[in-house]
Amino acid sequence: MTDSPRSYLSGRSGFGSDLREACGDFLSSMRRWRLWTSLAVHDIASRYRGSVLGPFWITITTAAMIGGVGLMYSQLLHQSLAQYIPWLATGIVFWTLISQMIVEGCEAFVSSGTIIKQTALPMLSFIARMVMRNLINFSHQVVIVAAVLIYFGLWRHSNVPLCLAGLVLVMVNLGWAALATGIVSARFRDVPQIVTALVQISVFITPIFWRPESIHAHRFVLEGNPFYHMLEVTRRPLLGEPVNPHSYIILILMAVVGWAIAFALFARTRRRVVHYL
Amino acid sequence: MSKAVSITVENLSIRFPVYGADQRSLKKHLARIAIGGRLGTKIGSSSPVVAALSDVSFKLAAGDRVALVGPNGSGKTTMLRVLAGVYSPDEGSVETIGKIASLLDLSLGLQPTANGYENIYLRGLIAGLTKTQIEEKTAQIEAFSGLGAFLGLPLKTYSSGMLARLAFAVATSVDADILLMDEWIAVGDSDFRDSARARLMGLIEKSHIMVLASHEMSLVKGLCNKFMHLEHGSATPIMPIEMLDEFLEQRHAQRVASAA
Repeated sequence: MTDSPRSYLSGRSGFGSDLREACGDFLSSMRRWRLWTSLAVHDIASRYRGSVLGPFWITITTAAMIGGVGLMYSQLLHQSLAQYIPWLATGIVFWTLISQMIVEGCEAFVSSGTIIKQTALPMLSFIARMVMRNLINFSHQVVIVAAVLIYFGLWRHSNVPLCLAGLVLVMVNLGWAALATGIVSARFRDVPQIVTALVQISVFITPIFWRPESIHAHRFVLEGNPFYHMLEVTRRPLLGEPVNPHSYIILILMAVVGWAIAFALFARTRRRVVHYL
Repeated sequence: MSKAVSITVENLSIRFPVYGADQRSLKKHLARIAIGGRLGTKIGSSSPVVAALSDVSFKLAAGDRVALVGPNGSGKTTMLRVLAGVYSPDEGSVETIGKIASLLDLSLGLQPTANGYENIYLRGLIAGLTKTQIEEKTAQIEAFSGLGAFLGLPLKTYSSGMLARLAFAVATSVDADILLMDEWIAVGDSDFRDSARARLMGLIEKSHIMVLASHEMSLVKGLCNKFMHLEHGSATPIMPIEMLDEFLEQRHAQRVASAA
């Protein structure tokens, strides 16, 4: 079903018109915000339907993980709980958002396949559905971060804006990554496996549990890891620690280049994604 | 609306690349690049292609009730999906003026874990309705489906007949200028079947253009005033429904002759 009473579709007529149509897709996806928000809310609701605590299970499991890992690793890393728990809590919560978006981005089109094959809904609304779903998840975890920071006396209202700015920058980057992997995964079904494996490896080479300051040799593994910079710009401001400006520069460059490539890929394949499914 | 309801299809071709199991693997894709040669009959990285529709042109105006007839795999459903905007043309163009309702798959977007009301809301959003429009329709869907208190329960607790009632009630609660239907969709027990039929007839009368794909010749003769025959993705011109019997007989005779 179409938004407007008039619809005109024709064969491909060059990349310019592909791009125009892709922009049109973006605008009409944004107009359908109520649809993808409702689908996202429904995704969460159906996952926890029938359970007493519902989505607050996310909060509880995250809190349990932070508590357990915190008690053990603080000793391994010779840090006091007051030093370690805030670092760990911010790391785990932001990392969960980042890694889930990357992994679920692969399924963004595939999991909405039945709707895509029956309707003319704009394609980017299915990416928006996935982003929204993860932001809802995130909102159930971020309360832990707030609680931990308040408890350890690290919470400052003035730290929030810079953290939010970092979060926006991270989300913009995850957006293009999800769009690109969503398309490629629909076409090549091996890609989700590759992405999941990469994310699993990243758990260990990204400073979630430990501080990047402890790394002296082979710094390139750290610097070359985009997830490291994503954590830096969200976590450090919240802890009141300075962020190395080059993390911002890298993320902004990545956002520009990434969106250019992902959007071009989207423009080129938008009509064909339905055939991939 | 300034312009009258219409459908204009010009030189439409739709091709489906077939991404088979052996095509989807990235390894195969990369291996082909690495080896540099071309194995088998496939050229480069291109997948086998099925021409689902080739060079179809027609024009429909208000009052047209068109039956798409033809054997399985002839392109009827593809034609409906193109009109619904699911597939973009590979060649040619499709222009539709008027609000389209496609009753292609009744169970579209139904979520088994959500309850009846939530499903009505989600389906309404997929159909492009606003919140207030959905609220207006809910009462009428409630009454027609006859599901009463069951609408408050998740769909997975419904019997298949109840599910069919809800799906039908939701799918047919639309106001459309152009109605696309894949097979006749009246469902349910005998009481419901009668009211479903009446409701569908009402919907057809309100719409300006209907396109119905069906194998039921007696049905299309009762509902449609024109027909188009599809075979292997090629379409005949649109003909008045009175010619349907004659056309099918000719077709049959041709086939017998060519087989002999």
